[in-house]
Amino acid sequence: MTTSLQSVEKALIVEAPAAETIKLETQDLSFYYGDHKSLHEVSIPFADKAVTALIGPSGCGKSTLLRALNRIYNLYPGHRAEGQIILDGKDILARGADIAGLRTKVGMVFQKPTPFPMSIYDNVAFGVRLYENISKAELDNRVEEALRRAALWDEVKDKLKRPGTGLSGGQQQRLCVARGVAVRPEVLLLDEPASALDPISTAKLEETITQLKQDHTIVIVTHNMGQAARISDYTAFMYLGRLVEFGRTEQVFTTPRAKRTQDYVTGRFG
Amino acid sequence: MTDAVSDLSRAIPKGTSLDTPFRLLCGAAATLLLVALGGVLVSLAIGGWPAFHKFGFAFFTTSHWNPVTDVYGAAGPIVGTIVSAILALAMSLPVAFGVAVFLTEFCPPILRKPIGVAVELLAGVPSIVYGMWGLFVFAPFFAEKVQIPLMSAAPPGSIWETLTSGIPNGSGVLSASIILAIMILPYMAAMFRVLFHNTPPPLRESAYALGATPLEVVMSVTLPHVRRSAVGAVMLGLGRALGETMAVTFIIGNAHGFPKSLFDSGSTIASTIANEFAEATSDMHTSALVALGFVLFLITFSVLAIARALLGSAKEV
Repeated sequence: MTTSLQSVEKALIVEAPAAETIKLETQDLSFYYGDHKSLHEVSIPFADKAVTALIGPSGCGKSTLLRALNRIYNLYPGHRAEGQIILDGKDILARGADIAGLRTKVGMVFQKPTPFPMSIYDNVAFGVRLYENISKAELDNRVEEALRRAALWDEVKDKLKRPGTGLSGGQQQRLCVARGVAVRPEVLLLDEPASALDPISTAKLEETITQLKQDHTIVIVTHNMGQAARISDYTAFMYLGRLVEFGRTEQVFTTPRAKRTQDYVTGRFG
Repeated sequence: MTDAVSDLSRAIPKGTSLDTPFRLLCGAAATLLLVALGGVLVSLAIGGWPAFHKFGFAFFTTSHWNPVTDVYGAAGPIVGTIVSAILALAMSLPVAFGVAVFLTEFCPPILRKPIGVAVELLAGVPSIVYGMWGLFVFAPFFAEKVQIPLMSAAPPGSIWETLTSGIPNGSGVLSASIILAIMILPYMAAMFRVLFHNTPPPLRESAYALGATPLEVVMSVTLPHVRRSAVGAVMLGLGRALGETMAVTFIIGNAHGFPKSLFDSGSTIASTIANEFAEATSDMHTSALVALGFVLFLITFSVLAIARALLGSAKEV
């Protein structure tokens, strides 16, 4: 696998994950909304079975970057990415890449809970049913497994047939996590998943993320510095569409090299 | 003393003096509307009473409508109204759905505006134009290219033969339904488009993010999400089809009694009233037509009431 170290010299890469552990990486990734360029040649490696946090002030491009990683931006005409996004050695931006297949490998959880208008069970089974032809018993197992992973099983096991929209906000968000992990993706993208949750739900979700790390590569966008420090292994600080600093989380938070990173993580701006 | 009074008056906002008249005026406007609605209903009921009284339930169940003998049974127009509206809906619904899905999921941005404008233009065509076009352009074409081939291809004794019997002159119940379908299409397409458009983007994105295709997203997520409102939109379309007069009068053939096939001539409540009201000489004839109006009012009112109820509770989902 090629590493991106040469191309990201502009940004401060303090400690990149070892090349053989890199699951996913962007290489000189630029992103355009129509004529507006909102990401500038960003190169970030994402380590396998680790949590990488994307932090930075609003409008820095961290959500844009996240939305490029599963090509969800493709839904909107005029949104386009340039550069490369390498997943398991293959460029997912290449012409003819299987987008639906990509999305079964790279799951996503959004800022606000988005339960589908169907039962809790069907919500979790939704993605599985799209791609796999498995028996009812196997599907039951998958649903239970996913709900357990999302730390929601005990709360919903007696009401799987009830609508997913009837759950509390925190439960809905964990339902969305369960829905995402049920298809057994290799990468999970989390776009400020706790921003609409109360502190207790947030703590549960963070616990869930830490558990999920054992099997998944996780990329999380967050505005919450404490959250980034608690749950991530690597942190990328972005500013105005550029990567400023990337390194192990404790380094970025305790001994940031760039002045801007220091100002941001200590709360002096942002 | 005077100081205290002036202080007090300054504490009252300037608009207060207009507050009561304003509230009364708005209330009067709302009352006027209710009075008009009630007035229409009551006068229709009173005007139709002689017919209801004389023919009783037979007014609804018999299809013998004869101004010469002054005997009126309205089952023909009532059934014609309901059948033509439902047929129109059945034809219009899939197309409206397709237009809306195309506009929200697949349409290249450059085409979105022209198609949107076309939908609006279609909605803006006066119904009499549809009627004339239906009679002079559509009917001959329909007779030659659809009716005659279908009739000659029908196996003897089959349901097909029964449905296609009659005179292939291009007018009739099915022709009227097709014209109606074209007329309600833009309304339903526009309403569906708004519904789909208002589906929260993250909800659609969540489904796409699981690897779903557009068909799966629309069928499993978007449509269930808007289902109540969609039923409401369909009901509004049905309400329009039920009350449409001019275009139907042109092309339905205007025969009383039950239509015996899809190609047979028939009538709707609205077309019967439009055709006969000017020539109604006997009191009973007039009363029978007013009674028809009353029935149409009730049908349309209940359809719209159901639509409102469904649209109103859409937020619960």
